[in-house]
Amino acid sequence: MSDEYDNNKSYQAQSSEVMDGSTGSVSPDIDYVRPSEVGEQELYHPHSFIEKWVFCQDAKVIGVQYFLTAVFTGVVGLILSWLMRLQLGFPELAGFMTAEHYYQFVTMHGMIMVVYFLTALFLGGFGNYLIPLMVGARDMVFPYVNMLSFWMFFVAVAVLMASFFVPGGPTGAGWTLYPPQTILEGTPGAGMGILLMLISLSLFVIGFTMGGLNYMITILQARTRGMTLMRMPLTVWGIFTATVLAMLAFPALLVSAIMMTLDKVLQTSFFMPTILKAGEVLEYGGGSPILFQHLFWFFGHPEVYIVALPAFGIVSDLISVHARKNIFGYRMMVWAIVGIGALSFFVWAHHMYVSGMNPWFGFFFATTTLIIAVPTAMKVYNWILTLWRGNIRINVVMLWCLGFIVTFVNGGITGIFLGNVSVDVPLSDTYFVIAHFHMVMGIAPLMVIMGAVYHWFPLVAGKMLDEGLGKWHFWITFLGAYSIYFPMHYLGFIGVPRRYFEMYDSPYMTSAVGMNEFISIAAFIVGAAQFILIFNIIKTLKTGKKAEQNPWKANSLEWYTSTVPPEHGNFGDRLPVVHRWPYDFSVPGAKEDYIPQTTAPSEVIHTKVEKT
Amino acid sequence: MSLIKKLFGALTEKPWEQNQAVIDSGHSGKTFEISNQMSAVIIIFGVSTTLFSLIFTGYLYSLPPEQDTTFILKTNLLWINTLVLILVTIFFNKISKDLKNGITSSIKKNLIYVGGLSYIFLFLQLALWYQLMQTGNFVSTNTYFSSYYFFTALHGIHLLGGLFFWGKVSSRIFKSEESEYKKEEKSINALSLYWLFLFIVWLVFFTIMFAYNDTVIEFCKSLIA
Repeated sequence: MSDEYDNNKSYQAQSSEVMDGSTGSVSPDIDYVRPSEVGEQELYHPHSFIEKWVFCQDAKVIGVQYFLTAVFTGVVGLILSWLMRLQLGFPELAGFMTAEHYYQFVTMHGMIMVVYFLTALFLGGFGNYLIPLMVGARDMVFPYVNMLSFWMFFVAVAVLMASFFVPGGPTGAGWTLYPPQTILEGTPGAGMGILLMLISLSLFVIGFTMGGLNYMITILQARTRGMTLMRMPLTVWGIFTATVLAMLAFPALLVSAIMMTLDKVLQTSFFMPTILKAGEVLEYGGGSPILFQHLFWFFGHPEVYIVALPAFGIVSDLISVHARKNIFGYRMMVWAIVGIGALSFFVWAHHMYVSGMNPWFGFFFATTTLIIAVPTAMKVYNWILTLWRGNIRINVVMLWCLGFIVTFVNGGITGIFLGNVSVDVPLSDTYFVIAHFHMVMGIAPLMVIMGAVYHWFPLVAGKMLDEGLGKWHFWITFLGAYSIYFPMHYLGFIGVPRRYFEMYDSPYMTSAVGMNEFISIAAFIVGAAQFILIFNIIKTLKTGKKAEQNPWKANSLEWYTSTVPPEHGNFGDRLPVVHRWPYDFSVPGAKEDYIPQTTAPSEVIHTKVEKT
Repeated sequence: MSLIKKLFGALTEKPWEQNQAVIDSGHSGKTFEISNQMSAVIIIFGVSTTLFSLIFTGYLYSLPPEQDTTFILKTNLLWINTLVLILVTIFFNKISKDLKNGITSSIKKNLIYVGGLSYIFLFLQLALWYQLMQTGNFVSTNTYFSSYYFFTALHGIHLLGGLFFWGKVSSRIFKSEESEYKKEEKSINALSLYWLFLFIVWLVFFTIMFAYNDTVIEFCKSLIA
């Protein structure tokens, strides 16, 4: 740990010369900031269109590149989900679709949405755009490596998309890619499809490691003066902890992807047991499919939190800004983020209760799964308590935040059901699980993304998105999502199995037909509603109202750049100096209902910050 | 302990309190007093440690019961390779120490030793692969050999990555005057640490192969079977 404080000065301050909020007396040292000890970061400024918009080293442009690429994959994932719902709700209209196609759509939808859409969007998109701005840095610490990270991601996406066009099509093994069936003949896409998927995943992990390195070091080592760890906005805490998780969890995905590639290409048997096929023993033998499951879920469960933690951080900031209230229990929020992150490495096998594990093993993982609900619940309480007696602005951003809280609680509670072995076993392969994880890690984080887009769009584009269109977008999405996933829980309870191409003519299956049709119609509408946002963005860019410098009256540094949108280097000639945490809203005694992080104490001497 | 205490100590700060605010304003914005390069190497350690640990776990999990697990240890080349890696680590450590103490006379020579020996290590690893293949033990023979090939390939790729940066630093050193070597100290220290890490990873794998016995494997399997 560095000698990070200027000890002499802080000692003086601690002794007696602190500002007395009630009387307004102030010491000469109250505005003291440590002199800058490091030189300015050397930035490579672009010299051409290509360097500015294609091979750009500016984290903000890289963030936008990540965002657009991830959204493109998201749209592909959305179209795949429409096709699946068409088959499930109206099979007579989906005559072009075979069972093989259906499994390929299921697989690609799952992998795209979890890895290439949500992870890339939160960490690559929001991470790149917001980290340097929020911590007061000019850019990421290794801009060139950061640029490589995006292009590696881009190639990973290109390779993945290429699998739609190879003989046999993309893999149809299910997004969990369980061996041995994944690479064996008979599974859709068991040739080039699975190979391209594995190569793409490997490239994604390598690319992400380059980006993650930048996020972590920028946050830890390149903050501006006065920006302690505990003065960082929770958005940064969420992205930071998620990055740490990703750096430790993605190696498991990389190892399993490489091992499976070797099993496929070089006939090794890391995951392949002895297999008898049509009376003939295959060349494989001695490997363990369960080993793959352990490796996959060692990545797969932290992956849930890699998506959720940035969402937790972002939504905390959005709620605080739009409720004009300091975040309730800031320290507890930080501890919960860190605690959830740590615990997420000890729950992976709750995805494997049906794999025939030792009962004690299941008992252990059920216990840890239930324990992780504690810090998660703390966060929910704190969001609600932040809203409590706040000066809430019911704008589009706040609607998305409220939608998130409700959806996350719903999805979280069904997670507590599934964390128990005895409940999970009968529900494991049913639509109950689909409903649970779509609510908790699909719709809930998506609502945060939407809230964040409406919140930060004025910073990125300098224009305000249309509120009216935004409200239509929210209400259709919110009500539509519940129309999809609430009935799905019921389908799970009556035993409708997941991953079935068609529902056969058994009595309980036919009873689900009407509900499947209803869910499909809702899914079509919700999917189409997302294009309202795209329309809103295009319309705003063309004719939208110009945004003022800090339209939401927020405190964090990203709103205090020299220009809007911020230029390369972010803060003009001088980096900002931080004097306070970012949650000084509605402070008694202050002229405005917000005090920016850059405001020196002597400028607000009659204020008294409430305890939290 | 001090590190953990300080890190967790930071999490107990109350940034909204005025006393704390005054203290916080004296903060430099940096968490650790190390260079960005060193931070990068340490983070890569974390990532690579997870990567190699998972490979070791896979190795222990799926070893064929009939396999003589000391088979590879019986080859002389493996021991020679280990010796080469030890020498590389010692030379790199010496470069680091010399730079710290301002002794610059043997920096270039030792850098050449480091690079040369690292390439020799990689060449000998390939020779060992060839030797194994000559005896009919290919990557697909069984999971014991698969794991060995896989581990050594990944270890070699890590070393090649290190050699790329060694090349960049060396070229800067060779183009500069002795008095300017000090400028490269941060990079050299980071690389030296990286080589030490690769040596430790190698040693752990070596120890696992050496210490293998049925009792240990059965115990591990019983935990996750």
